Amino acid sequence: MMRLTLALLTITGLAHGAPATQVAWTPETQELVKSGDPGRGEKLAATCAGCHGERGVSANSAFPSLAGQLPTYLYRQLHDYKDGSRVNPLMQNFTSALSDQDMADLAAWYSRQPPPENSKAADPSQFEDILRLVRQGDSKRIIPPCRVCHGKQGQGEQIDTPRIAGQSATYLEQTLKAYHDGERHNDIYGRMRLIAEQLTSEEIRQLARYYATLQP
Amino acid sequence: MHIDPLEKKWLYIAFGMVGLFLGAIFISALVSGIHPPSNVETIDSARLHLSEEFAEDNLGVRIQPDGTVRVTMVAGRYGFFPRHITLPADTPITFRWASIDVLHGVHMPMTNMSTMVVPGYVAEVTTQFPKPGDYPMLCNEYCGTGHDFMWSKVTVVDKQTWARRHAKTEGDPS
Repeated sequence: MMRLTLALLTITGLAHGAPATQVAWTPETQELVKSGDPGRGEKLAATCAGCHGERGVSANSAFPSLAGQLPTYLYRQLHDYKDGSRVNPLMQNFTSALSDQDMADLAAWYSRQPPPENSKAADPSQFEDILRLVRQGDSKRIIPPCRVCHGKQGQGEQIDTPRIAGQSATYLEQTLKAYHDGERHNDIYGRMRLIAEQLTSEEIRQLARYYATLQP
Repeated sequence: MHIDPLEKKWLYIAFGMVGLFLGAIFISALVSGIHPPSNVETIDSARLHLSEEFAEDNLGVRIQPDGTVRVTMVAGRYGFFPRHITLPADTPITFRWASIDVLHGVHMPMTNMSTMVVPGYVAEVTTQFPKPGDYPMLCNEYCGTGHDFMWSKVTVVDKQTWARRHAKTEGDPS
């Protein structure tokens, strides 16, 4: 009953235009994430290993790898799952009992794990078309290049723009689609939605494949 | 104190030129309504998306009770939000700006809509657009690697058309 009420509140909240996320990067929040204890995080992460892999490298391409991800990004996603800003019943369930300190600890541990090794050597010629979007964007559609926010190597940038290099193509594609459809909406001021909603399915597919081949 | 007459003449000419240029600046500023934005109002940039005025759904164009138009916008790397707004010509329009991250500048070429958007402050500019048309809205303070790609679109339509199409919606008409 409680959960149903919560869910209803979340839905009505969204209808009234709740903020994209409740997390604000005030100095206190940044300090909290920085102070995360990786040792405690490792213990807490035991629950996550089933889907996200023993050390944060996921074996299932539908679930993201968390190893080497920005701690600020991990913290915010956990927070967003918990309060329903990012909708995923499974993750909402797992995060419901986490305190802010737990989230900071988890973020600290995963961010310190080595990112997945990329074995497949990418053939740059197959990405020629999509590289234009990555490097120059598209001024007609007001799409900035991917790399101005996500970094030249897709390594992510301060404060919480995620690392996307080496993430599984399946996960990247489903995430871009979710932004495209507005199903995912925890990006402040729709910064990612405004871009993704203009991308074609083919562009989404290509972008996902391109970033999956980059070595993080 | 003795001043050579020739030196005196040059002094008069120099002061005359200073006066002339200052006069030109003041007169042109007064006549075309150019003035430095002087609105000092602080806001927490980190919590901007949680504030009432700059909440995602409250951004855009709104008609005030006194018939003027207010535009609330946010600047952030790399874009202005909302991305596209439609405004009436020949109507006083008050822009209110805040930044979510670093220092930005907003500039609409061919108009006198231009201001800095300093993180932590609300920038306010009131102006009118006499000519309908499509205008870009550009960032003119270097804000990062995506600075060149930071721009938005503003469509100015004549007053009657705008009132017919957008006045009822009250919100962002784009």
